Formats: sequence, structure tokens, C-alpha cells
Amino acid sequence: MDVTSMSRVWREPARLMVFLGVMLIAASAWALDVPPLTGRVVDLAHVLPADVAASLTSDLEAHETKTSNQVAVLILPSLEGEPLESFSHLVGTTWKLGQKGTENGVLLLIALRERKVRIEVGYGLEGTLTDLRSSHIIRQEIVPRFRSGDLPGGIAAGVQAILGTIEGTYKAGEVLSDRAPGQEPTAFQYMIIGIVVGTLAGIVLSHGLQRTRALLGSLLAFLVAQFASVGLGIAAAGVTAFLLWLILQANRGKGQGGGWGEGFTTGPGGGFGGSFGGGFSGGGGDFGGGGASGDW
Amino acid sequence: MGSRISVFATLAITVLFAGLSGCGYNDLQGLDEDTKAAWSEVVNQYQRRADLIPNLVATVKGYASHEKETLEGVVQARAQATGIQVTPEMLKDRAAFEQFQKAQAGLSSALGRLIAIAENYPNLKADQNFRDLQSQLEGTENRIAVARKRYIEKVAEYNKGVRYFPTNLTAKFLLHLEEKPNFTVADEKAVAKPPEVKF
Repeated sequence: MDVTSMSRVWREPARLMVFLGVMLIAASAWALDVPPLTGRVVDLAHVLPADVAASLTSDLEAHETKTSNQVAVLILPSLEGEPLESFSHLVGTTWKLGQKGTENGVLLLIALRERKVRIEVGYGLEGTLTDLRSSHIIRQEIVPRFRSGDLPGGIAAGVQAILGTIEGTYKAGEVLSDRAPGQEPTAFQYMIIGIVVGTLAGIVLSHGLQRTRALLGSLLAFLVAQFASVGLGIAAAGVTAFLLWLILQANRGKGQGGGWGEGFTTGPGGGFGGSFGGGFSGGGGDFGGGGASGDW
Repeated sequence: MGSRISVFATLAITVLFAGLSGCGYNDLQGLDEDTKAAWSEVVNQYQRRADLIPNLVATVKGYASHEKETLEGVVQARAQATGIQVTPEMLKDRAAFEQFQKAQAGLSSALGRLIAIAENYPNLKADQNFRDLQSQLEGTENRIAVARKRYIEKVAEYNKGVRYFPTNLTAKFLLHLEEKPNFTVADEKAVAKPPEVKF
């Protein structure tokens, strides 16, 4: 075993590692990642003067406070070969602009090198900020200013036109009242339903079949909870069966189990994002591909 | 003694139902519903596109009436696409699904040709009505792409549930669910690329 053969053995894996490393770097550089949501105006191309960015941000914030609509601006130096429409949709859904339930988010995306602009509209605003209206905003407000070299002016005009269009669609606070009726019960609520129904059934049935009442109680509890959440259904059924069995043991023949306080509170669960003040985060809105694109 | 029997029976029933849930009964039902919802969205967006076409054809006719072949091609392709009765049951019928997909792809390519000839007519391209229709068509094509992507994801999830053990047993013997057809990649490429429009 001499030195040269030794080094040859080692050279191959080393070369492979270098190759893989290069591939990895190349792959990560090629695919454009969704930038982090650092604020309502994410200017990665540094085209907005600080005061314009600040006034846009405060406008967008005031608009959200008033209407719950979440509008954000993203300015990219380049799309790195990504198709505009699919990348814009990816950014919108990753940032989750708009509130959950009303889906009222809008993204204004500008790609400098490709000279492309897109307005991506959330599901809930497609009716007001239609494809046509978005296209008009791009063609009439944004593109003419961009063509004359006024990027900040075009962006500001575009944002104002968007805000003006979607102004009256939703009101702040509507999100919660809208969601309340159709809101899914929380996990706790299912568990309570399961336990309560099971217990009641057990008590009622105690006038009848002595031995099987615990079974029927737990079965009912399970079936009720089954409709929504399987794991909790089992848990509730198990708990009910156990508790009923305890009662059965404790006061056999008496046939009644007094109420025991389950100290749960059933407040409306969920809670929506969309933080006000301080940092900015998406409220959970969704996008269906509505909006329009243009170039200058 | 009697209470001990009831305890065992309770346990047995709990375990039985737990086993049933472990088989993914609810998950499968949920996934089935999700795919149907995703499918409705796809159909909805295709319908939206079909609704735009008569206006588009009329506008193009105003400027390029002698492009009969292309115009008629679009009208025919639209008739073919809208002639297919779309139902949720279609998802169980691979042939019907493929026929639907083919008809929509046919309409896509006919529309592509129509947009291409518009390039030769500067007056048409400058027409406000045409530009408006075109931006709506673009938006709809983009929505179709999104709806298809979501359908593809949902069906992939659902098909996994139908094929993986042990949920496949529930799917087969209890729910009689079968794998659902999905859009093919070749077709996906054609649709994912929206018609290129320059103003």
C-alpha cells in the first residue's frame, strides 16, 4: 500500500463531496426563496426612499386597522427565473396576507430586472379588486410612472389605488362576527360534549339496564364526538366509561350520579393573527390566483 | 361480578371503536370531501373561462373577421368543453375525467392561437375592450392553474390514504373508495404557462 494509491482512494470521495457541495449551492441559489415578511413594505431592491417607505407603511397599517384588509408590497431585484404568477401566489400564501375567514389580502409585487409587476388578490377581495380593476391600476397608475423612471411614485400611486378600491369591502371586527356562526367547536368543546352526553345517557339509562348502562353511555359519548375528532372521541368515551364505572361502584343500586363540576370554559377558540403595532404578520388569508400582471 | 363484566365489555367496545378510528374512517371521508371541493373549484374556473369566450370572439371578429378558421376553432372547442356534463361522480370515472381534461386542453390551445393572431392586428391589440377581456382571461387562466395545483395536491393526499395500510382496508371494504384520477404532468405544463401577452 503506497502513498499514491492511498491518495487515490481518498481523492474520489473528496471530489464527490466538492461536486455535491457545488450542486447544493447552485440549487439553493437558483430557486428563489420567499423572503421573510419583515414589514408591510419589503423593499429588497432598495428603490424606495426611507420617508416614502415609512409613509406607505403607516398608510397600510391605518388601512388594516380600519378595514382589516392586509396589503403588502414586495420589491425584488430579480425573479431569478421564477415565473411571476406562481412566485407571487407563493409569496401571498406563505405570508398569509389577509384575515382567515375573509381572505382579504393583497400583494403588490415588483420585479425590477424583469420589469414586471403583479397585483395578487386574496379570495375575499376578488369581487372588488377584480382582475380587470387590477389590470387598470397596473396600466393606468403604475406602468406610466415606472416608464418615466418614477418607481417610488408608481408604487405609491398603485398602493393608493388598491386601498381606494378595497376600502369599503370589509370593516375591522367583521372578521370575528363573520366567523362566529360557522366556527368549528374546539377540541375541548368536543370533549365536554362527549362527557356530558355520555354521563346524561348513563344517568337516564340507569333506570333501565343496570349492567349495560356504562357501555351505552360511553358508546353514545363516542358517537357524538366521533363526528369531529376521533382521538378526543375515544378519550371522552374512555373517561365517561371510567367515571360511570366509578359511580356504579360507589352507589350501586342508587342509580344516580350527581353533577361533578368540569372546570372547563368554552370561549371562542382559534384567535386570528394579524398583529397590530410592532411586528407585522399575516392573518391567515388565502389566495386563489386572482389579480393581474403587467410589464413596463 | 356483574360490574366486572361490564368493565371488560366497556373496554372491548372502546378498543373496537379506537381500532375503527385508527383505520382512518374520518380521515378518508374528510379527504374525499376535500378532493370534491378542490374539483369544484377547478370546474368553476374552467366555467369562468368559457363565459369570457363569446365576448372575446366577438371583439376579435370586429377587427379580424377573415380569420374564420381560428375563430371557429375557438367556438367549437368551447362548445366541446362546455358540452361535457360535469359531476362529482366524474372523479370515479377515469375515461370521463380524461375526456374533460382533453376538451379543456383543446380549448386552451384554440385560445392560444386566437391570442397569437391578435399580435398581427395593432388596432385589435390597442382596443380597450380587447385588452380588458385579455386581462380577465389571463387572470382566469392563472386561477385555473392554482385550482389545478390544489386539486393535484388534494388527490395525491387522498390517494395515499386509499393505498396505504391500514387505511386502504377501510377504504376498500367499508367506504368503497377508489383512487381518483389526477391531471397529468404534460398537460399541467401546458396550462401552467399562461398565454404570453404584451401590451
